[in-house]
Formats: sequence, C-alpha cells, structure tokens
Amino acid sequence: MIAAGLPQRFKVDFDPNSQIFSLAGTIRPRSIDEIAESIHALREAINAVRGVLYIDVKRLIQINNTAFQAFIRVALDACRERSDLRLIVVTSSVVSWTTRMFRHLSTIEPQISVEVYDSMFYPGQDYFEDTSFIPILRAQTKLTWRHERTLLPRHGMRPGIAVADICCGIGDFAVLAQKEFQPSRIVALDHSKPSLAYARKVAAEFGVTGIEYTYGDASEMLLEDNQFDFVSCRHSLQVFNQPELLLKELYRIVKPGGRVYITNEKNSHCLGEPRAQSIQWTYNELARLLSSFEIDVEFGPKSRRYLADTGFDDILVESFMVTNLDGDPQDFADIIAGWEKMFADMAVRHGEAPEFIERFRQGFQDHIFAALHPKGYAGWPIWAASGRKPL
Amino acid sequence: MGASVDKTTETAFEPLLQFDMEMEDFLSDWHHCDHVSSYLARMISHNRTDPVRHSNFFSSALNELLEVSFRGGTTDGKIGLSIYRQGTTERVQLSFPCPPGQARFYREAVSKTRDSDAQARYLDAISNDLAPSRESVLLDLAVNYDARLRLDEDAAPAITLIVDLPLEGMVS
Ligand SMILES: C[S@@+](CC[C@H](N)C(=O)[O-])C[C@H]1O[C@@H](n2cnc3c(N)ncnc32)[C@H](O)[C@@H]1O
Repeated sequence: MIAAGLPQRFKVDFDPNSQIFSLAGTIRPRSIDEIAESIHALREAINAVRGVLYIDVKRLIQINNTAFQAFIRVALDACRERSDLRLIVVTSSVVSWTTRMFRHLSTIEPQISVEVYDSMFYPGQDYFEDTSFIPILRAQTKLTWRHERTLLPRHGMRPGIAVADICCGIGDFAVLAQKEFQPSRIVALDHSKPSLAYARKVAAEFGVTGIEYTYGDASEMLLEDNQFDFVSCRHSLQVFNQPELLLKELYRIVKPGGRVYITNEKNSHCLGEPRAQSIQWTYNELARLLSSFEIDVEFGPKSRRYLADTGFDDILVESFMVTNLDGDPQDFADIIAGWEKMFADMAVRHGEAPEFIERFRQGFQDHIFAALHPKGYAGWPIWAASGRKPL
Repeated sequence: MGASVDKTTETAFEPLLQFDMEMEDFLSDWHHCDHVSSYLARMISHNRTDPVRHSNFFSSALNELLEVSFRGGTTDGKIGLSIYRQGTTERVQLSFPCPPGQARFYREAVSKTRDSDAQARYLDAISNDLAPSRESVLLDLAVNYDARLRLDEDAAPAITLIVDLPLEGMVS
C-alpha cells in the first residue's frame, strides 16, 4: 500500500505469507490522523498472524516521535492483550538511530525483540568484506583504470557533475575519477567496513578531500532519488545475488537523463599463452564454483539485457581486455596471485577434493606464468556498459 | 557542570551556519520542519566521516527540535537557527517566540533531560502515552541522541534551546 494523497513519502506493506509488516521511507506527520490508515494496517497485520510478526524497519529513513509513538502504541497494546504474540523488530545498522529508538521496546515489553540486520544478506559477503580482499581490489583498479579513463567520457562522465560510485570497495576508482574529472560531488558507498576504513585512511594520507564515503547496503540506500548525473557500479552486480535489486536502486538515484555505468566480467574468457588449456580449465571451473555462491562472474555480456530490463535507454556496451602488456606484467601477476588464494579458499570451503584444488591452483599459476613469460600473453576481459534513465 | 565550563567550551565552537525565517511563514506549512532539517543536515554533514549517515541522523534530531518550535511557537517574530561545531559535536541553537509563561515549562522539561531518571521517564512516556509531549521529545533527544540540552531565556518572550549533539562518534 502506498500512502497516496498524503504528503508523506513512505510505504507500508504487509506480507501475510512471511508475516512481515514493513515501514519504509520518511514518516513525519503533524498528527496521527495523517497516518491512521497505516496504523490500522499494523493492527490488522497483528490480528492476521499467529505466533511471530516481523516489523521490518530496515528501509525506514526517517520517523518522527509522533509516528513512532503511534506505531509502538499498537504493538505494545497488542502484546498486553495477547500473550501468544511475539514481535521482532528488524532494524538496519545503516540507519544509526532506528536501533537506538526501537531497542527500548524490548526493555518495556519482553514479547518484543529487536534484531539488527547487517550481515549475511548475500552468500559471498564474507569473502568480499574480508581485509584480504583489499590488495586484490588495489591491483585490479590499477590496471582497469588505464582503459576506463578513456572510455568513461563515452558513458557520460564529464567534469563538474554529481557522481556516485556504488559498491566502491576501497575507493580507488573514486579517487582516480575525482582527480581526472573533477566532479562537483562524489559519493562512494560500500558495505565493507574494512574497505571503507582503508579508503578513508588512503584519502587522508594523500590529502584527498571531498569524497563522501558512506557505509550502506546498495540494495537499500539512504541516498535520495534523482541525485546524480553519473552512477557507477563496478564489478559488483556480479557478486551480489540479486543484481536486479541493485540496478533498481542505481536507477532510482540517478537523475533523469543521467547515466548508470556498470562493469562486469566473464571469467571463463580469461586467457593466456602458453599453457592455454590449463588456464582455460581453471577459469571454467571458477565460474562453476562461484555460481554455487550465487556469484555470476559470467555477467559481462548480460549487461545489455539487465540494463534494458531495468528501464534504461540509449544503452552502450563495450568490452576491453586487461593484459600483461598494460604496463608492468608483475601487476597483472599480482591480481592473479590474489585470485588464486581467495578462490582456492572458497573451493576448500565448498568441499572440493584436494586433487581438484591442486589442479585449480595450477591454472592460476599458469596464468601468472603466461603473464611473466617474455613472449607470453595473458588477458582478463571486462564488459563496460551504461544506460540512460529516460527523461 | 558550572557556568564557567560552559563558557570555555562555547568559545571553542566554530559557527557552521545560520538560518532565520519569519515565524508566520514558518508556521504556514508543517513540511518546513522536514525540508529545513533535511537541507541543513546535508549542508553541515558534507565533511563528516560518513556524510550520508551523519546527515540522516542529524536531520532526525533537528526535525524534532523544529517540530517543538512549530507546535509551541507564536507568529510574532522570527525563528532563528544556528549550528556550530566542536570536534565530534554539533551545537544547535534554536530560538523562537512562544506564549508568555511557556518559558517555565521549557525550563522544567530541559532540566528533566539532565536528571538521572531521564531514561526511566522516557520509557514511561513511550510505553503509556498516545502521542509524544514536548517533554518526551526532549527526553528522546537526551536518551537516543546523547544530547545535552540547555535553555537560554535572555531574549524573552523568545526562548533559545541549546542542544549539543555528539552524533559523529555514534555514526562512525
Ligand atoms: C568485487 S568488489 C568491487 C569493488 C570496487 N567497485 C572495485 O572495482 O574495486 C565488490 C564490492 O561490492 C560490495 N558489495 C557487494 N554487495 C553489496 C551491497 N549489497 N551493498 C554494498 N556493497 C556491496 C563489496 O563489499 C565489495 O566491496
């Protein structure tokens, strides 16, 4: 249900199957009469459930005391009337004050508990939020930037605009983009606290100012609608198990006429000479392994379809190959060494046999061998795509 | 805490912005509270560690204060808002004209936010009242935002609420 006709920008929803009542958006009424319908909806939801009702406030961006007190009144009264009822309020670690406000409910009423949702919301999360991932991101951006620097203007990047880099990792792209294109504003969001801490440290050490690093869940952002001229999301749609949710959010925050720029891989197309076969085998297996973590490293060529399905027009897709000839071959080798370690760990966790792990590792080592070989060639293909939000 | 301590800290607060508006205009639309708090929060948060989340948090506190002045203010005169910063704390100084006799009410409400039973009072208010009183809104700021509140009555009949919000440390 959308609170149509009311000036509030919020949504109230009840899903009887999952017994989830959710409040989202900004709820700042002058009097409770303005939200009477929503309060009634909560009462109805409570009446409709047996056992547990989840009250999901993860996407609640603002609520004033008037609304807060009106909603909790219903919850507290219901607990007093029904001893069988359990209410679980789910808050987000991103919106700092909601947890502080709602946690009191469990003090007042033992039938209510408060849970903070912040981890394990996508299957590969542990790996991408681990500090060991930092050097890999470092090495990758160093090489991809050589290509992206020149292709970005074709995708709408230009000086003086408002930019957001969503799933920014350690923020190297934001730093490079800021230096090269001097945006009027640049926001960089990620859900990895170690990566953000590293990003802020690097920015401070190099005297980089003006990048707004923010902690958040890209599938449910605090950023307002229609804010940015250019929104990038690099190598991340492929790691999140619901890329369409992320795209919807990217679409929401970009201005009409602005562009969303995404880069993704097709890992089974990584290649090298010599030792092509071993390399090929490993990257095929990698794509298979990661799909069991709901990570789609074959996403690259699907970019066009995903952008179109989200509602973008004027879609532009191109691909480029990062290679060992893009500068110092050791940089390329460093990326592959990082992958070998990370992905072999994942294979072990997935329960692969030791012989598999050995052969799997060998392909990465052969890729490094090809990269460092005086006559060798090693490549990592990437798809860069963008679409315009219709005016 | 003695008055002399407050004075020393005061000198160290750096002004960030000032805003005023005729009360009559302010009171003409409830949404001014939401708009002004969101806009000013974004302006002062841009150089905080996590500007987006700081702004969201700050807006939430500032909106409550503006709602207090909306509900309790009178049309004669101006609403004035100044924001200062010292380290991880922002100070909001909000002045607005209110009916004679109201100052006492605010004085008491502000002093309750500093009592040791502030949390108990707040819990009592939210567990029993249908709608928040101005007193419980101020308690909310003390309990949920670790705010320290003071009242300045020098410009009677206008009152000035001075609220220190240490939000930066709570966000990051
Ligand atoms: C492969 S890395 C890419 C990082 C960066 N864009 C780069 O190219 O260096 C994927 C990033 O997406 C982030 N991420 C994945 N899902 C996310 C979500 N739902 N919200 C915020 N960040 C997310 C991870 O924390 C990680 O930093």
